[in-house]
Amino acid sequence: MAEKYVNARGLQCPGPIVQLFQAAKEAQAGDILVVEATDGGFKKDVVAWCKKTGNELLSLEDDAGVLRARIKKA
Amino acid sequence: MGKKLVVIGGVAAGTKAAAKAKREHPDWEVTVLEKGKDISYAGCGLPYYIGDVIKERKEVVVKTPAELKAWLGIDVLTEHEALKVDTAAKEVTVLDKKTGQTKIFPYDKLIFATGAEPFVPPVPGIDLPQVYTVREVADADAIRERLDKGLVRRAVVVGGGFIGLEVAENLVLRGVQTTLVELLDQVLPGFDPELAILVQKHLEEHGLTVITGDKITSFVADESGNLKAAITPTREIPCDLAVWATGVRPNTRLAAEAGVELGPTKAIKVNEYMETNIPDVYAVGDCAENVQLITGKPAWIPMGSTANKMGRVAALNLDGGADKDALRGVVGTTVVKLFDIKAGKTGLSESMARKEGYDVESVLVPAHDRAHYYPGSHLILVKLIADKASHRVLGGQVVGEGVIDKPIDVLATAITLGAKVEDLAKLDLAYAPPFSTAMPPVVTAANVLLNKLTGRLNGIKPQELKARLDAGEGDLEIVDVRKDEEVLLGKIPGAKHIVLDEIEARADEIDRNKEVVLVCKVGLRGYLAALKLKAKGFPRVTVLEGGMTAWPYATE
Ligand SMILES: Cc1cc2nc3c(=O)[nH]c(=O)nc-3n(C[C@H](O)[C@H](O)[C@H](O)COP(=O)(O)OP(=O)(O)OC[C@H]3O[C@@H](n4cnc5c(N)ncnc54)[C@H](O)[C@@H]3O)c2cc1C
Repeated sequence: MAEKYVNARGLQCPGPIVQLFQAAKEAQAGDILVVEATDGGFKKDVVAWCKKTGNELLSLEDDAGVLRARIKKA
Repeated sequence: MGKKLVVIGGVAAGTKAAAKAKREHPDWEVTVLEKGKDISYAGCGLPYYIGDVIKERKEVVVKTPAELKAWLGIDVLTEHEALKVDTAAKEVTVLDKKTGQTKIFPYDKLIFATGAEPFVPPVPGIDLPQVYTVREVADADAIRERLDKGLVRRAVVVGGGFIGLEVAENLVLRGVQTTLVELLDQVLPGFDPELAILVQKHLEEHGLTVITGDKITSFVADESGNLKAAITPTREIPCDLAVWATGVRPNTRLAAEAGVELGPTKAIKVNEYMETNIPDVYAVGDCAENVQLITGKPAWIPMGSTANKMGRVAALNLDGGADKDALRGVVGTTVVKLFDIKAGKTGLSESMARKEGYDVESVLVPAHDRAHYYPGSHLILVKLIADKASHRVLGGQVVGEGVIDKPIDVLATAITLGAKVEDLAKLDLAYAPPFSTAMPPVVTAANVLLNKLTGRLNGIKPQELKARLDAGEGDLEIVDVRKDEEVLLGKIPGAKHIVLDEIEARADEIDRNKEVVLVCKVGLRGYLAALKLKAKGFPRVTVLEGGMTAWPYATE
């Protein structure tokens, strides 16, 4: 299982979600995606996205304004 | 010989007035009478003391009588209640609660700073020991003690104003299952519903149960006389603690009995010098009336910020010199933080402005509080309210998880100085990525409002769109122009989806005989789409103001 880093820092919404979409498309089931974003709106969006797509949100942390989500592809 | 100044009330306004008066007149004898045990405390900090954000009592009690004596030379007498004021004889009758003795205090100048008290209606059961109000340090002490002892599992807070909400937030933070009941159909009365509903959603996401449009009609106790539940006409809410926070009333009885005139708001009437109708008698703080600067009408807006200014102004005017200081009025600025969301307002709300007879234009604009690429940047939602004819800014409200107090303070300043929307749009505000954006929220909102005022933009508020959809109006065509990935996260039920890039090519799919409502994330892409459709001859195009950011209702 691979871990893939997605740099979505500096992108305005929906940029981070669009990037996550692309990355998820290319990933295999069980892969871990680590997404970093700076847009505060990503917090809600990533939760909603995981719910919608059935991928598992392992963790979501706010590191001094950098939001880091770890997602396991379903 | 210096004159004698007596101040009745020793919290914000009273201690401020006394301290400034003594600085101005070192030879005067300044006495503050306070019926309670504490003086000069931070009432505003009490919710955080309850929530253990503020750890110790001493942190909220700003000064002690001994400190005020040593530092400033004023005499503060606690547990001294003024019972009667004789304005002819110029003396105050005072009860020393420690000794039970009555004393007479003669004065040359008198300042009422008697503050406000929680409004407590005669609801059955409201006098149960577990039903509290929050005004004094002792109230917070009592609530804290119950929390610390683990006696509180479920609480009910009555009233959705900022005090009720702050207390409710802090109870939730202490792990208490808390229900807030508000009579109106929104929290934060004074805010317009578009913003209040976003705050309410945030509160609910953080575990507070919010019930609007309902009222507590009684409290009931168990066999041993302890609070068991709060009752409304439609439900029974089990609880072991309740906080009543449905507003405050000015403390004016003593003044009124002494012949001091009250104003139309029932608070003590003062002029801009804080003088009452009786010579040598002043009133400051929550017990006194203000003027709403925009309407020029009497208003009662009891805030700690205003209380301090009034205290200072009165102190500067005691000797009746020619260079009097004045407080012309207030615009009504408030701000509150609840969990991660912050809400501020200044000036008139849209509904207040309409009630005052203004022909109003308003707009909802989401904007980034900092450069979007700078860590910690957030979208905040700005509502701007202006007079249609003169373009004068009447009010502003801002809600969001980012920095909202800066735009509010900019707006408060602009409104106080009589700015027009055009002035706001051109303000030279500080910008570097960690602080703001090149087009800061206030400037962006002003520009969008100008687009509306000049007919470039037709907007619809989420509440109006929802009402029209609920009414089953068939004349609406909602088109969401966001990207696929965004729409996947939810769109307005029934909305068509055509991305902005394709809107011209696929314009045929849109019914041009209907009113077309364009939807995006914040309103910008909707506006761009509207311009494209207008150019194609669509007669009625409207943009959803605030986009999905301000849409609080269900999505599909
Ligand atoms: C929980 C809470 C949160 C708040 N948060 C904010 C905030 O965030 N921002 C803000 O601007 N404001 C806030 N306020 C409001 C602010 O605390 C008041 O505006 C401020 O305390 C008013 O000061 P004051 O001196 O006029 O009156 P008070 O604080 O009411 O003090 C009046 C004093 O006079 C005494 N007194 C009355 N009658 C007599 C008598 N006959 N003899 C002797 N003494 C008498 C009373 O015991 C009282 O101690 C908050 C208030 C509360 C309760």
